[in-house]
Amino acid sequence: MMAWRNRNKPMTLAITLVMLVLMLFPFAIMITTMLRDGTEIYIRPPQWFPDRPTVANLVNVWSEYNLFTYFESSMIVAVGTTILNMLLAIPAAYAVARLRFPGRSFALYLFLAIQMFSPVIIVISLFRIFARSGLIDSYLSLILANTVFTMSFTVWMMTGYFRSIPIEIEEAARIDGCSRVQTITRIMLPVAAPGLVTAMIYAFIWAWNEFLFALSFIKAAEKMPLTLGIYRFVGRWSTQWEMLTAAAFLALIPVVVLFYIIERRLVQGLAGGAVKG
Amino acid sequence: MTRPSLLRRISAREAQLAYLLLTPAVAFLMVFMFFPILNVFQMSLYETNKIGRLIRFVWFENYINQMKNPEFWEIVLRSAFWTFTGVLVKTILGMVIALLLNVQYRGRKIVRMLFILPWASSVPISAMLWTWVLNHEFGLLNRTLHLIGVANPPIWLGRPISSFVSTMWVDIWIGVPFMALVFLAGMQSIGEDLYESGYMDGVNSWQKFAYITLPGIKHLVIIATLLSALWTFNDFNTIYIMTRGGPAGATDILITGVYKSAFEWLKWSQASVMAVVTFVILTVVAVLYARMYFRAEE
Repeated sequence: MMAWRNRNKPMTLAITLVMLVLMLFPFAIMITTMLRDGTEIYIRPPQWFPDRPTVANLVNVWSEYNLFTYFESSMIVAVGTTILNMLLAIPAAYAVARLRFPGRSFALYLFLAIQMFSPVIIVISLFRIFARSGLIDSYLSLILANTVFTMSFTVWMMTGYFRSIPIEIEEAARIDGCSRVQTITRIMLPVAAPGLVTAMIYAFIWAWNEFLFALSFIKAAEKMPLTLGIYRFVGRWSTQWEMLTAAAFLALIPVVVLFYIIERRLVQGLAGGAVKG
Repeated sequence: MTRPSLLRRISAREAQLAYLLLTPAVAFLMVFMFFPILNVFQMSLYETNKIGRLIRFVWFENYINQMKNPEFWEIVLRSAFWTFTGVLVKTILGMVIALLLNVQYRGRKIVRMLFILPWASSVPISAMLWTWVLNHEFGLLNRTLHLIGVANPPIWLGRPISSFVSTMWVDIWIGVPFMALVFLAGMQSIGEDLYESGYMDGVNSWQKFAYITLPGIKHLVIIATLLSALWTFNDFNTIYIMTRGGPAGATDILITGVYKSAFEWLKWSQASVMAVVTFVILTVVAVLYARMYFRAEE
């Protein structure tokens, strides 16, 4: 790093500032819009700062737009997706990480490639399947569809973590009389906890931010998750942007916080062994 | 005689256990992924009615119809342009940000966190925020442009070319932080001694970048670019929320085309043909990505 230090520093900071403005612009607009009264939205010329700043929107949006229902739906779907992910992915990841069997490398390959497919490809036939089985307008439809696209990555991440646990620890437990299942629940999972948490948060965030499946499967307002709810109702007619930005702000807080927890491990998982923490 | 057969017995039991543990996950993927994909393939060979029922087996008629349809080719070309330009700009901006973050100064960690925000944010919500930012009459982007002397800022989402540029910019904006983080991680794993010997040889900044940094992260650049290509090609949310593919189809790419053909125009055969084309393209890139990934692992 030596050679990079202390060279052209003012220049670096100036470009950094310009890039930051570019990357943070919409968030700044979100804040300055949500802090103003509805009468200060459609004015000409538009003003950067509200005349009478207020946090009333952050409170009113809950009652005016059933924001609570959307939050509830998002929470149920995201938690459900996370749980289903763990149920399916933990055994699979253990098998791929620890056991030798024909087709093992193919399985790994498959799990890595699957996450790259597009939800749009299967949304057409999933819609038909769910329509036939009465799953339209159900949380279950979203949980199932979200799990298809998160599970391969959670398997993938946990495989890496299981592998990094020395096999001797496991063997010692086996010698002490633990069964295979006990070894997994008592030894592997606690030791692999950071990886487990990363995978869980990943599935949660993915489900929380999902839009296409909700758009296709959910028609009833009371079942809509946040992304769709904000799009459909807050954004309807002549948009009340002060309300939309307030809702957006509230919806973003949980996922942004969670994202910062897993960000480094996520990059590592996506870009592979070449990235060292 | 005993030893090999014992080993074989153990490995047979091990394999049995492995298949048992894999069964739930694989069965789930069979039902909700492979079956739907096969279903789409099947549908692409049939004539369908408005609710997506299969009416008549028509072989490759749907494909031939699409090949003859100039709009289809327009969408394919637009998807290619969208993906190529998007990834290119993401790579360049990501590289710039990574280089900026690779310099030591106080508060660098906070700056790094701020740069990540577009990736941490939810894509649908970001798209809605940008729609407001880009509002030509009341949005603050045009106001700002006006203040710095642009007399007639564009009606961003109201004209074909400017809405294509707008949606592409938002997609780029979302994708840049990932690139920057991967490149930065790569740059920080390059040994200091390389730079020091470069310093001895008196190389300038550009040479340092071209002969030390870039070769050092070449592998990561390829992996990140492939992954980014998949994400860019797949970005349904940004386009659908900001323009729904409009005005007049100016921002339609394959992925929005599939959705709109099915759910808005109820042309299910057409949608499934586009889905199959999309599937083939994605498979090729995904396999490339997986291969690069495993090669880097070794």
